[in-house]
Amino acid sequence: MDPINFVILASVLFAIGAAAVLLRRNAIIAFMGVELMLNAANLALVAFSRIHGEIDGQIMAFFVLVVAAAEVVVGLAIIIAVFRARQTISLDEPAELKG
Amino acid sequence: MVNPVLFWIIAAITVIPALSLLFARKAVHVAMSIVLVMVGLATAYVTLGAPFLGMVQIVVYTGAVMMLFLFVLMLVGVDQREDLKETIVGQRWIGLFTAAGLGAFLVSIVGRVTIAVSDAPVEGEPDVVAVLLFDKYVLVIEVLGFLLITAAVGALVLTHTPRLRPRRTQLEVQRDRVRVGADPVNKPMPGVYARHNALDVPALDPEGQPIDHSVSRVLKIRNQTQDGAEFRAQLEDPSRKEGDR
Amino acid sequence: MSFVTPEIAWAPLAPLIIVLGAAAAGILVESFVRAPERRRVAQLTLALAALLAAFGTAVVQWAMLDGAGTVVLADMVTIDRQALAWQVLILVFGVLGTLLFASRTRAGEEAFTPLGSVAPGSTEETLARRKGFQVTEVFPLALFAVGGMMLFTAVTDLIFLFVALEVFSLPLYILVALARRRRFLSHEGALKYFLLGAFSSAILLFGAAFLYGATGTTAYSGIAAGLTSATGLDPLILAGAVMVIVGLMFKIGAVPFHSWTPDAYQGAPTPVTAFMGAATKAAATAALIRVVYEALYALEWELSLLFWIVAIASMLLGTVVALVQTDLKRMLAYSSIAHAGFILVAFAGFPDGALSALPFYLASYGLATMGAFAVISQVREKAEDGTVLGEATRLGQWAGLGKRSPLLAGAMALFLLSFAGIPLTAGFVGKFVAFAAAISSGAWPLVLIAVIASAAAAFFYVRLIVLMFLTDVPEGQEDAIEIEFSPYARTVVILTAVAVVLLGIVPGPVLSVFENAGVLLLGAAG
Repeated sequence: MDPINFVILASVLFAIGAAAVLLRRNAIIAFMGVELMLNAANLALVAFSRIHGEIDGQIMAFFVLVVAAAEVVVGLAIIIAVFRARQTISLDEPAELKG
Repeated sequence: MVNPVLFWIIAAITVIPALSLLFARKAVHVAMSIVLVMVGLATAYVTLGAPFLGMVQIVVYTGAVMMLFLFVLMLVGVDQREDLKETIVGQRWIGLFTAAGLGAFLVSIVGRVTIAVSDAPVEGEPDVVAVLLFDKYVLVIEVLGFLLITAAVGALVLTHTPRLRPRRTQLEVQRDRVRVGADPVNKPMPGVYARHNALDVPALDPEGQPIDHSVSRVLKIRNQTQDGAEFRAQLEDPSRKEGDR
Repeated sequence: MSFVTPEIAWAPLAPLIIVLGAAAAGILVESFVRAPERRRVAQLTLALAALLAAFGTAVVQWAMLDGAGTVVLADMVTIDRQALAWQVLILVFGVLGTLLFASRTRAGEEAFTPLGSVAPGSTEETLARRKGFQVTEVFPLALFAVGGMMLFTAVTDLIFLFVALEVFSLPLYILVALARRRRFLSHEGALKYFLLGAFSSAILLFGAAFLYGATGTTAYSGIAAGLTSATGLDPLILAGAVMVIVGLMFKIGAVPFHSWTPDAYQGAPTPVTAFMGAATKAAATAALIRVVYEALYALEWELSLLFWIVAIASMLLGTVVALVQTDLKRMLAYSSIAHAGFILVAFAGFPDGALSALPFYLASYGLATMGAFAVISQVREKAEDGTVLGEATRLGQWAGLGKRSPLLAGAMALFLLSFAGIPLTAGFVGKFVAFAAAISSGAWPLVLIAVIASAAAAFFYVRLIVLMFLTDVPEGQEDAIEIEFSPYARTVVILTAVAVVLLGIVPGPVLSVFENAGVLLLGAAG
């Protein structure tokens, strides 16, 4: 079976992650959607890496892993700060910011 | 080449749990499903000739990142429900439509291309990875160090509270209690009458007067205390017996 | 297995090493200097010294550079005149931003919360304030952001681009959440900025993965070569290219990727808004230039539709929505969206002129932005008992500012005129060179729309000027506004005002410098 199928799988996961960011109001769930998108990109990188027969794509996936970990730390810190202040993590609870 | 059966297993254990992102009500369920997705992805990496990355994926994602998510979920309360009413009318449909369109678009694009697959792929063993990491990509590694410092400092700035009040020793706690009028020692035990389970009767001081606060506050509120009048009555009128209340 | 140490030309990285090294040293200062006040002085000195040293180093490098530039590490980082010009620009914004970060009110209040981890309005917050706590980490965080942005302008590999993007974004997310007043707004702004920022970087990464799949490399030069040699992969390449560009447009703040801008601009502490507004746009534009001209130049025809649509949508939406804003910071946020549209106009048809026009445009826009937000940080609400509160950002509160403080109102008017692109200000020259570049590649319909949008935008800038100078202070409101005096913020206002006028009247020298910068070492384009 052609490894390109994994890229198709990655595209499906990417779309699911994007849908979660666009649809869910719970900040943590939306954030998990972003994580899924990053992982989908990783899967695509690794699959292409296999197709090209080299490991550069894997190295890139490795960097993405580190970046994503750092991003999670900062993101969850912001979410905790918001929760401490408001006791809720819904994305549009008090809607203080209005256009 | 990849074993088709394995591919379909991986597809099932990634896509199906991932859908919980859209449909699960509770964030904890989503987090646990994503853990499964990460394991599926790790399997995919091993299948695609990246055993080291597969292991790192398990350690970093299922072991660290998703557990961090779970910790935070516990911290903010697992029962946080989502408010499902819409602030912008039709936002749900617009979002769903956009994402489905994106997915269909990407799948159709990838489905149409064919790229020649290499016959002699390099296996991503740790030693191979290490050499490349510190050769071509060494600057990226160094910059990632700064990224990690930023993340650590940022998390501390936003969540760490230093001690704002001085720590109080036990001695200070006691002094403060006495200063506001608390008893320096234990309160006297209730009950003097041996004939009766006497928690409900006040103790007597050396002068024979009842000590009111020797009886539990709870009993007083419930009106279950005795003041001794009943027993005096028994003494004066021996015909009455205990238990005829 | 043999390992050969890679060849790295470290010297051109000196400004970057100084800035990032100072940021790391700042973290150490944080743990060894305990007294908040001493720590603040140490951090401020360190940050300013590092930024000025890096500025000096970059200028010296510019002067000593033979030819177009140096390849620092093959396929990864290139320092050429274009990168140096952007780095100098970002360092200038960094210095001005640091001065704003350090500014305080007369009562000694910074723009940042005393302690980021306590809930707003809680007793702990009051306690922390009384004890004189300060989040002095903002200085090293700003340095990290500056370092990441400088790197962002020089990388020539999509994965390194992604890493650099995160290096400068993460500190900004944190800084946005640290406002002293209106902390709910600040938190909400940070959360939205973070989620959409992470979303956009994921899109950029997926695009990078597609380009890697199609060309077998993520280096710009390799991609440029792969575009012509790859056959049958056009859809993959095009989708990848669009996603990478969309990721960068998020950072520039163009429609429809703008939704974080108003919230983040309004919620962030004003010094952070100033720095973010000026520097992020510059860094993202620089990276977009490098991606487009070094990697995707061959896709000019295919990508032009994207640039046209986004540019037109940004200019129209930014202008129209800014018209109805009542909050000053939000108005400037929407105006920044319109400016993102003007920036993208210069990309139409990928003219060579954009390489020298855009640095000038971003210089003029960034200086005016920093100045305008510095003015905003000085105009404060006052309670009836005379205590000075937060910034007065409602438009109505600015009525009659010309009488209260002619200097601030005059400077603000100047910055607004520059935003509007009125002659004799830097903004006019910036718009002129940017639009000229677009016309040179035949995109005159786009320029026509841009000119109309500029004219419409002038309306709300002029409305504020009229409000400041020709309207009286409302009855009974005489004591509702306090003009603060912070030497740092005043310095920024005066420096940027002088720069905006100078760039408007005698743009020649700077234009010719940027003319030299209009060359990419590895360009697929001229």
